[in-house]
Amino acid sequence: MNQFLQALINGLLLGGFYAVMVLGFSVLWGVMGVINLAHGEFLMTGAYLAWLLFNTFSLDPFISLVLIMPVMFILGFVMQKYLLNRLLERPSLATLLATFGISVILANVHKIIYSADPRNVAVPYSGSFEVMGLSFPIVKTLIFAIALAIMAGLYLFLQYTRLGKAIRAAAQNKNAARIVGIDIEQVYAITAGICIALTAAAGAIISPIQAIYPFMGQPFTLKAFTITVLGGLGQIPGALLGGMFLGIAEVMVATYVPGIGINLGVVISLLVLIVVLILRPQGLLSGLRKMQTD
Amino acid sequence: MKSWLITPLLLASLALTTACNQQSAENPDSSTKTIKIGAAVSDTGKYAREGKDTRQGYELWEDWINSQGGIEVGDRNYQVEIVYYDDESSPDTTAKLVEKLITEDQVDFLLAPYSSGLTKSASAIAEKYDKVMVSGGASGDSLFTRGFQNLFSVYTPASYFTQSILKALSEKGAKTVVIAYEDTLFPTNVAEGTQKWAKDYGMEVLAVETYPRDTADLSAITSKFKSLNPDIFVGGGHFNDALLFVRSAKEQDFNPKAMVLTVGASNPKFVQEMGEDSEYIFGPTQWESSMQHQGNYFGTAEEYAEKYQAKWGEPPTYQAAGASAAALALQMAIDEADSLETEAVREAMKELNEVTFFGKINFDETGKNIDKPMGTIQIVDGKIRVVAPEEIALIKLNYPMPGWKQRNESVSSSSN
Repeated sequence: MNQFLQALINGLLLGGFYAVMVLGFSVLWGVMGVINLAHGEFLMTGAYLAWLLFNTFSLDPFISLVLIMPVMFILGFVMQKYLLNRLLERPSLATLLATFGISVILANVHKIIYSADPRNVAVPYSGSFEVMGLSFPIVKTLIFAIALAIMAGLYLFLQYTRLGKAIRAAAQNKNAARIVGIDIEQVYAITAGICIALTAAAGAIISPIQAIYPFMGQPFTLKAFTITVLGGLGQIPGALLGGMFLGIAEVMVATYVPGIGINLGVVISLLVLIVVLILRPQGLLSGLRKMQTD
Repeated sequence: MKSWLITPLLLASLALTTACNQQSAENPDSSTKTIKIGAAVSDTGKYAREGKDTRQGYELWEDWINSQGGIEVGDRNYQVEIVYYDDESSPDTTAKLVEKLITEDQVDFLLAPYSSGLTKSASAIAEKYDKVMVSGGASGDSLFTRGFQNLFSVYTPASYFTQSILKALSEKGAKTVVIAYEDTLFPTNVAEGTQKWAKDYGMEVLAVETYPRDTADLSAITSKFKSLNPDIFVGGGHFNDALLFVRSAKEQDFNPKAMVLTVGASNPKFVQEMGEDSEYIFGPTQWESSMQHQGNYFGTAEEYAEKYQAKWGEPPTYQAAGASAAALALQMAIDEADSLETEAVREAMKELNEVTFFGKINFDETGKNIDKPMGTIQIVDGKIRVVAPEEIALIKLNYPMPGWKQRNESVSSSSN
């Protein structure tokens, strides 16, 4: 029983991280249909920024978020405004190629700046605390808490602010949104800024538990793809559900199957993905979608 | 404006060409008095860093042997010239370049690129043209099960990586082992070897777990292992796994009496990035400059490191030392064979049994270096110290390692 509860906790904590990691990818895809192949590289950039601030100013990665997110917002805003907005009307291959190019550039620029040596942020509180015989890793619990806070914040923002409503309107029907006076290009640029800032934040908060190196991004992009399709496009509850599902499935299978547990966990999550695609192609929760106007 | 520049330039180049011609006319057999060695080594791509180390290792040997007057074959002294190409860390490019080295540059011998993967493709070409190839950067066991005649590697093979530490720990009373490894070629070779050595030294393997590449979380494995309460944990595949294992062992309060991480621990970056949590961790290493090896050519490991530092301005990695040792092995074989013929040198390579700054070099029939024990380091007070095997160890190994919680207490009590 204790082992089961511990596995459940480990799975939830992993799932919380998956959920916050996927948000930026999912919203960008849901709102403007851009599949951001540089997702993992933006995450890597966030992790490197956290490492840099930790190493030069001994700034805790959870605190340096307040510096990293605005910087990365600007980067995302500029990328959207001057690059991706020009490509949106073209076939979707154009944005795929552009983001792929960005991923290659980011990875190699980081290799030049930081070299390929792996880095890590060694926070002093890397242990765990115990509640009723179950151990909670401090860093992962912090990541989980911040992930929930970020998701709640984004949800409230999209649901209740004027700008958030404009973003959702732009996602549902671009032309109608334009007619009621929404500056689509501006909304897109702001959305991209938010998404890149969130992705970099995810990178920064995992910097204490992962090795940081220039080519760490790709597996994260792949995972983001799986979770987004599983949970539903551009949906915060969908990202949470997809992330949690994947996290718990992986840890549970890994705990109870000897020898090949983690491998089998990945296999099972992808099997579930195929089943979901057949039975509920819109994802577990139906996400932000274009309204049928024609 | 430009014509006044061109004329003297033309004259100068003319003069130069004649001078060169004259020089070669004076030494008609200067080209025949050089041994040409080919090396396709990574300058760009994934292995850019290790490739640079490898090339610096080769070049150090090249400079040194030429300054000693070269290699004596028959009654002639031959200078050495190494021809380099950048293999871009790609097996296909490696194969093409090795072919070019043999057919166009007409090299006499080959030095291998860094990594088992690139060496696999390079050695296939060497075999096709029947040229001896010596490697200072490949440890995969599968390289030597293909029935090749011409590939030799000075590294200890992957399946021997954990031998010295398991032997030392069994002597300290360790009885049980758990193993976790990434299911790719090299970690699998290491893990298979580990299971064999554990049995040989009378220990019981309680559990074996595998995981795929790019895994972001290994806490499921450590929490499972925790309930088995093993004496020794052996794990790893890449630097990231090493980090994940240490972090999740601490989080889950998983306290084996010894933690052996196959990759990462002997890299100074590991201590630098991981801080105090890296204390007490064991890791295998091909070579450290503090090892007590002494050979006839570069002296001790320490003296080799000094020569390297003087030439390149940085301390040698084991990749660089391996490269120099590979070239040295070739040199000793040529010396012994007293010939530049492939067949004679190949036989001499197989007969070679010599202690060098890199450790013992003694190739078996397949080309593996079987007599060099893998060293093991332990991180003690933030320093990488050789602890096994006994004959080259600097300090006694620390066993058992204190539990994570006890460490925090001892740290806080000492600070009080």
